[in-house]
Amino acid sequence: MDRRKVDIVVMTMLIIASVIVLTNDNLSQGGAQTEMSSLFLPRLVAGFIICFSLFIGAGSLFKLLNKAALSSTESISLSGFWGVNIYVALFIGYWYLVPIVGFLLVTPFVMFAVACLLGGRRWVAITAMSIIVPILVFYGSNHFLRVFLPTWSLS
Amino acid sequence: MFDNIINGFAAIFAVGPILGIIAGVLVGIIFGAIPGISGIMAISIILPLTFYVDPIIGITMLLAVYKAGIYGGSISAILINTPGAAASFLTAQDGNALTKMGKAGKALDISLFSSVTGEALATIVLIFIAAPISAISLQAGPIEKVFLLLFAFTVIGSLAGESISRGLLSCCLGMMFAMVGLSSITGASRFTFDIPELMAGFTFIPMLIGVLVMPEVINVIRNRHQSQQEISLTKSANRDDNRISWKEYKGLFGTILKSSGIGTFVGALPGLGSSTAAFIAYGEAKRTSKTPEKFGKGSVEGIAAAESANNAVCGSSMIPMLTLSIPGDDVAALLMGAFLIHGLTPGPMIFFEHTETIYAIFAGFLLTDLFLLVIARSGFRFFTKVASLKRYFIFPCVTVFAFTGAFTTAQNMDDVLILIVFTIVGYAMRLIGLNPAVFIF
Repeated sequence: MDRRKVDIVVMTMLIIASVIVLTNDNLSQGGAQTEMSSLFLPRLVAGFIICFSLFIGAGSLFKLLNKAALSSTESISLSGFWGVNIYVALFIGYWYLVPIVGFLLVTPFVMFAVACLLGGRRWVAITAMSIIVPILVFYGSNHFLRVFLPTWSLS
Repeated sequence: MFDNIINGFAAIFAVGPILGIIAGVLVGIIFGAIPGISGIMAISIILPLTFYVDPIIGITMLLAVYKAGIYGGSISAILINTPGAAASFLTAQDGNALTKMGKAGKALDISLFSSVTGEALATIVLIFIAAPISAISLQAGPIEKVFLLLFAFTVIGSLAGESISRGLLSCCLGMMFAMVGLSSITGASRFTFDIPELMAGFTFIPMLIGVLVMPEVINVIRNRHQSQQEISLTKSANRDDNRISWKEYKGLFGTILKSSGIGTFVGALPGLGSSTAAFIAYGEAKRTSKTPEKFGKGSVEGIAAAESANNAVCGSSMIPMLTLSIPGDDVAALLMGAFLIHGLTPGPMIFFEHTETIYAIFAGFLLTDLFLLVIARSGFRFFTKVASLKRYFIFPCVTVFAFTGAFTTAQNMDDVLILIVFTIVGYAMRLIGLNPAVFIF
């Protein structure tokens, strides 16, 4: 994928967001009234974002219009993204299920799934790791760090 | 100052800090030696664990991870020609050439002794230079401070990445995200969109892990079909090929000293980092060597120069961070965050407000070198075995540690959501050439 096209889209979005920060007074609520307002600093930063985005975006647009050859850093390889989508979905599921089912029950399945995703086929070793590591982390957090990871909340 | 140094050593010689240093060195070498895991990643994962311990233990542990991680990178560089960091690129050239000649033990030994010497010398410079510089910088008024701040952002923005404009954009985006929540000056809520969870802003640790650690995991998942190289340490029948003799070390000491000086100087200049130091020192060693033709083909001088210079940066990159609040490189920027989390604000006042703590950390920094030498020297075989672990054993554990680390911050599942969001943001930033380390700073 041509990163210069992505650059143009992302930089346009950043410029639009920065213009909203510059023009919308409702982004800050309450607080003490000052001469410069609470949005002074965000607006200053938004101004810089517009400048840098314009610089990067214009550079990419110029190269695209001139049909300049792609350098190695300007192309994005899309291979392997299926695995990334699965991993992100797994992580979202992990986040959703842990408060309901508990850390100790969900984590082994997630670890096992990630190991399989990475091509692991040594089932016994992976299963052992998926069971032992969550137990160690759970009890280590509980006893040494006083961090209480979520437990089963269904009753 | 000498009283402070002695008090620092008195504070560090306790069970807690020493165990912290040992744990840090072990974790650092292991993480550094595993190809695909960087020092930043190791520090980010360990950081949440340090919340619950004394700053002296926590910070020295993180610094031990940093130092040992840089050294650990040279193990995979020498044995399988896969530098863990850009700074180990030159070590990989000469070290792997020596490995192919059956002299892996010698290469690892030279790398270790040069690293430790370089680090120790830079740490001594840090201890004696930092306090006087901070005394000078204390005289800065508000105008000087504003310009210093602008200088810091400019330096940070140009730290790494493809271009200065992308670095500065990353810096601005980081500042924008940092402004979400209640303003500390006016008390106004900014960019919260009536979501109460955003009133406190984005929690730092989940953001940090999401932006710096998780994209590495995603990279590994994307490249999961590539075969993984085996790391193994083969011993030569000739004993001299497996170690470095005192005579050899003495012969290399001039190169190590000069390269450490270069590394210390380059590290103290904000924004250059360990790769620049290694390349300059390597070039200088080659220029003055009696056997320049051996460089790149298994030169022990080359390894000594590159390793002592890139490790010297560890200590000296702390000088601008501790005296002017300007981190010397991306890892120093991360460590600056760790200092802040532990209630230590880097800057000239740190030497007056936390004298005992800061000198204890310095003492710990020096002690780390000793532990690194002993632990690494006695465990080459063990570390190569651990570094050879298959990725399907390592990265499920990293996923769980990242989850736990994010949750640990406030014992809140919202922080895990922040982790997921910033994992995506961090990876997207990498794809379009923005610098995640600068964003986090």
